[in-house]
Amino acid sequence: MQAIEVSHLTKRFGNLTALDDVSFSVSGGETFGFLGPNGAGKTTTIRILTGISTPTGGTASIFGKDIIRDTIASRKEMGIVHETSNVYDDLTAWQNLMFTAELYAVGKQMREKRAAELLDLFGLLERRDDRVRGFSKGMKRRLTLAMGLVNNPRLLFLDEPTSGLDVQSNLIIRDVIRDLNAQGVTVFLTTHNIEEANLACDRVAIINRGRIAAIDSPERLKKTIQSVQSVEVAFDSASPRRMDDLRQLPGVSEVRKEGDKFRLFTEDPSLVIDAVTAYAKAENARILSLSTFGPSLEDVFIRLTGLGIRTRGVTTVD
Amino acid sequence: MTEPAGKHGQLYAELFAAWAIAKKDIRIYYLKPNIIVSGAMFPLFMFLAFAVGRPAEPAVMIPGLVAITILFSASSIEPVSIPIERRVRTFDRLVSAPVSLHAVVLGESLSGFLYSIGIALVPLAAGLVIFRTPIISVFPLVFGILLTAFCFATMGTLFAAYPTESPGDIMSMLNMVRLPLIFISGVFIPVESVPAVGQAVVWLSPLTYGNDLIQASYHGHTHFNPLIDMAMLCIFILIFQVAANRLYKKFNE
Ligand SMILES: Nc1ncnc2c1ncn2[C@@H]1O[C@H](COP(=O)(O)OP(=O)(O)OP(=O)(O)O)[C@@H](O)[C@H]1O
Ligand SMILES: [Mg+2]
Repeated sequence: MQAIEVSHLTKRFGNLTALDDVSFSVSGGETFGFLGPNGAGKTTTIRILTGISTPTGGTASIFGKDIIRDTIASRKEMGIVHETSNVYDDLTAWQNLMFTAELYAVGKQMREKRAAELLDLFGLLERRDDRVRGFSKGMKRRLTLAMGLVNNPRLLFLDEPTSGLDVQSNLIIRDVIRDLNAQGVTVFLTTHNIEEANLACDRVAIINRGRIAAIDSPERLKKTIQSVQSVEVAFDSASPRRMDDLRQLPGVSEVRKEGDKFRLFTEDPSLVIDAVTAYAKAENARILSLSTFGPSLEDVFIRLTGLGIRTRGVTTVD
Repeated sequence: MTEPAGKHGQLYAELFAAWAIAKKDIRIYYLKPNIIVSGAMFPLFMFLAFAVGRPAEPAVMIPGLVAITILFSASSIEPVSIPIERRVRTFDRLVSAPVSLHAVVLGESLSGFLYSIGIALVPLAAGLVIFRTPIISVFPLVFGILLTAFCFATMGTLFAAYPTESPGDIMSMLNMVRLPLIFISGVFIPVESVPAVGQAVVWLSPLTYGNDLIQASYHGHTHFNPLIDMAMLCIFILIFQVAANRLYKKFNE
């Protein structure tokens, strides 16, 4: 039985089609990423899968239970971390956890034990009796995660768990996701951070404007676009004509300047390496470093969503 | 994994969650200034506005004061708390919990109910201690207060279903209903002397029945049969509960 089974899901808000015939499934124990730019339909998908919002068409089930017909039973299996850190500012961290546990009918002993463990895990134990009003953004996010786990869910929904957080909060959250995965918890996370999807997910669905463009493991997705390989080179001296020179080299389809390095996109890295070496010799420039790269998930993303705005060496995503 | 299986398990989970929601409201909203103003001060001033310059003894006015205090206090928590929770998105927690919307509506109403009982004790005690207004029979008073409080708390939750993030929107809609209710429910003007135009709608006001019960405990006579009063209040509670459930479902997009 699949943890999540989604079939031909459609959601319209008036004239706007937020989800357009979305189908996918997530097996038990998997960490599944929903990667897409702003407005792609990530939160809409989570709101349907958690039974908050009803789809215009299609079906979704959680561990075999239909989310529309069997909403309550499906929800018992899940923990939800909403996009906004929706904690009660006027309650303490502890009271927030107790309240959430009570909504899930977690018994008193169990919820107190669980809450203490989670506060410890997220580095909030010392602040347990402080009102949340004074918490930093990262602390609120971590508390939101703790609240999502207080009922020991088999399936965890994370809507952009790490967006806008500092390195420390980020690392704690990534570690927790990894541990949960090791314990067999299924994780469904949304993100617009490609690196996060690459690091955390077994499989990734790329979604754009309500449609799924591709679903596969990060490595397999990268393989689908072998043409976007690159050679990265750094020289010991600068030259104003360098970008133009490099663009003229045989086999180079595009050049990006990245810090003190240049990234040359190509279908044939070995041809480009020979050309770069010859060019350096001719220019009397020393090569400081030279490395080759396969396609990144970012490249896949740009290719599939057509979102990259590629101007003179600058690539932006969302 | 923690709740016992089966029908009883789920009923217990629903009531448990409803109580958790009520407790949360009590902790967070009871002491908010705007709730104190609209729930406790407002009915007092309304009352003074009517009472001042009237020949009637305080004793005659006490039951009416109790009735409108309940009307305003019971329906004052949710119209403030729910839009705020929509804005800070904690509302999503309530509507994604593994319980029915009935439990959410009940829990929200419960906090307004308890609040208004606490507030209603003030005019009640003032009547007994300061004005020495005797209470003839306790039975209609207790049922009158409990049912009226629950009825208007549920009405407050129903109005709060309107999908706005600003409490003011709901308060103004609510006052369009609450204020006229005072005039057609026998609080200051006995039901018998309400003009013909008003007579037609007297029946439609839950406050008519609540006020009738409360008046009975002070004066010994009722306009309707007390059982009818209680039955009507229960019917209104049911209608508000079901309508609220529908609307919350409808507005969850
Ligand atoms: N309640 C709503 N009413 C109308 N339109 C909505 C509603 N909720 C979402 N939308 C629209 O649906 C589309 C998808 O929104 P959604 O919130 O799912 O995007 P997202 O992928 O989560 O984006 P982000 O990364 O910004 O969170 C957007 O165009 C949005 O404006
Ligand atoms: Mg979103």
